Amino acid sequence: MSWQAIARKEYAEIRQSRLVRYLVYLFIFACLIGAYVFPLNTTGDITLGGFAGYMVTAVSILLPLIGLLLGYNAIVSERSAGQLALVLGMPHSRRDVVVGKLCGRGIALLGAVVIGLVGAAVLVFYPYGSVTVTSIFAYLLYIVLTLLFGVIFFGIGLTLSTLTRSKQLATLSAFAVFFVFVVIWDEIETGLLFALERLGLAHGDLPAGVVFVHQAQPIPLYDRIVAGFFEGTSMSTYFGGDAPWFLNEWAGLVLFLLWVVLPLSVGYRRFREVDL
Amino acid sequence: MVAIDVQDISKRYETLTALDRVSFAVEEGEIFGFLGPNGAGKSTMINIFLDFVRPTEGTVRIFGHDCQQDGELARDKMGVLPEGYAVYDRLTGRQHVEFAIDSKDADDDPMELLHRVGIGPDANRPAGGYSKGMAQRLVLAMALAGEPDLLVLDEPTTGLDPNGAREMRNIIREENERGATVFFSSHILEQVEAVCDRVGILNDGQLVAIDTIEGLRQSLGGGTKLTISVDHITDPVLDDIEALHGVETVWLGQDGHNIEVTCTNDAKMDILLSLADAGIDVQNFRTEEASLEDMFAQYTGEASTPDGR
Repeated sequence: MSWQAIARKEYAEIRQSRLVRYLVYLFIFACLIGAYVFPLNTTGDITLGGFAGYMVTAVSILLPLIGLLLGYNAIVSERSAGQLALVLGMPHSRRDVVVGKLCGRGIALLGAVVIGLVGAAVLVFYPYGSVTVTSIFAYLLYIVLTLLFGVIFFGIGLTLSTLTRSKQLATLSAFAVFFVFVVIWDEIETGLLFALERLGLAHGDLPAGVVFVHQAQPIPLYDRIVAGFFEGTSMSTYFGGDAPWFLNEWAGLVLFLLWVVLPLSVGYRRFREVDL
Repeated sequence: MVAIDVQDISKRYETLTALDRVSFAVEEGEIFGFLGPNGAGKSTMINIFLDFVRPTEGTVRIFGHDCQQDGELARDKMGVLPEGYAVYDRLTGRQHVEFAIDSKDADDDPMELLHRVGIGPDANRPAGGYSKGMAQRLVLAMALAGEPDLLVLDEPTTGLDPNGAREMRNIIREENERGATVFFSSHILEQVEAVCDRVGILNDGQLVAIDTIEGLRQSLGGGTKLTISVDHITDPVLDDIEALHGVETVWLGQDGHNIEVTCTNDAKMDILLSLADAGIDVQNFRTEEASLEDMFAQYTGEASTPDGR
């Protein structure tokens, strides 16, 4: 139980990083701008759910960026340069290192999400909305969900960091994850549809099974959960009201939680077994 | 009690055998020197102590704790200066030591440790700006945190100037007097010889010798090489010297003015006295502990050079 020492050291170090600080500011700034603009652009009721949906795009670009950035470098560079030899020469286990990194660096993520979204809530609901206990509770769940969304990408980055000894390879794979998940994922859907139509396997819509696989990525899952639980719409819109059960928000939540846990445990297991 | 118990450790990589069935034990309270040329496997052994590297076969126990199964317990009372470390550029020297104290659940005063290793004045500067020698001192301060029962130091004097190396040896002695066992590796014979109770010599992954410095010297006979410059010398005097107790060999240099004697340490004074008795004027003399150097070279199959490289 000595991960706290690593977490404290990690936090002391991460606050010195200008890049991380600017990205945290950027996220907070994006939340506040979003909260300022949202009521002006919305014709219907000003609701939390509406705001959460409104923010999905910005969140799904910025949090993967911050998460991957915090994660991909967490272990690999200390391992190749040699700081890890100092840490693991002390009575720390490799699990302490992973947990300490996660918590110490996670504070940057926590700060960004909590300050950004609480600040946004004040801007949206103080002048426009009505605050009820239910809406506050729902908003807290939304904050937790968004934080976990950041943790997923942090976990993916950290896992890449444990899998290789090469800093370049870790950087490259983090960039590749960002590019594939954030930049071109929607185009993949178009490409798949085109290919399947050519093969005569699809007509206008993708088969539900293919949609399931394509949408089992953290960003569409986050989108689906926000839409389903907070906005009250669901994937059924895609299928005109009769979507299969595995495309609903509950299935999405299960997959989403698997994304929180699985990459990290794979990375940790591998890191535990290898020579430093 | 045994501080370090190494049993049949082998470490094989695909094509390379880094360690080949090495066994030895270090007693509590000892200063143990781990000697060998670069690439002999010294760091691999230390990395197995620290569980950075897992052995292919064999076990190491430190104070009874298996280094691989119970790594945290094995490292609990250990202070470490590992090979190939780097400091955190953004953290100050003080933050490093605080991290070490925090990690070991100790209550040392960080400034006291930093002053002890001689970098007190630089405590609040980021360690990224430290020289190699300062970083080495900083990591030593981290190792000293928590009054460890065992210090494991991998090439502790590299990067230090002669003055720094001497301070390092003083700290090693102080820690030993406090009760700590010290295990340190070096490829430089003098560093080990100056402080160690016992040494083990590793070559090409195998432990080729383990003994006290004195014992190693004895095993080669004599130990000290004495070179004496005299104004003149006669054969009977040379014979007298050769007959002295503890003298191995005597020979006269080609110029006729330098006598070279290999002998035990105790015999040196007798030699000088018998020269004085014979009325021979000693102009100069020097001693070289060449035979240990030679022995090291012999064990490790390397030509010996003054700096051991």
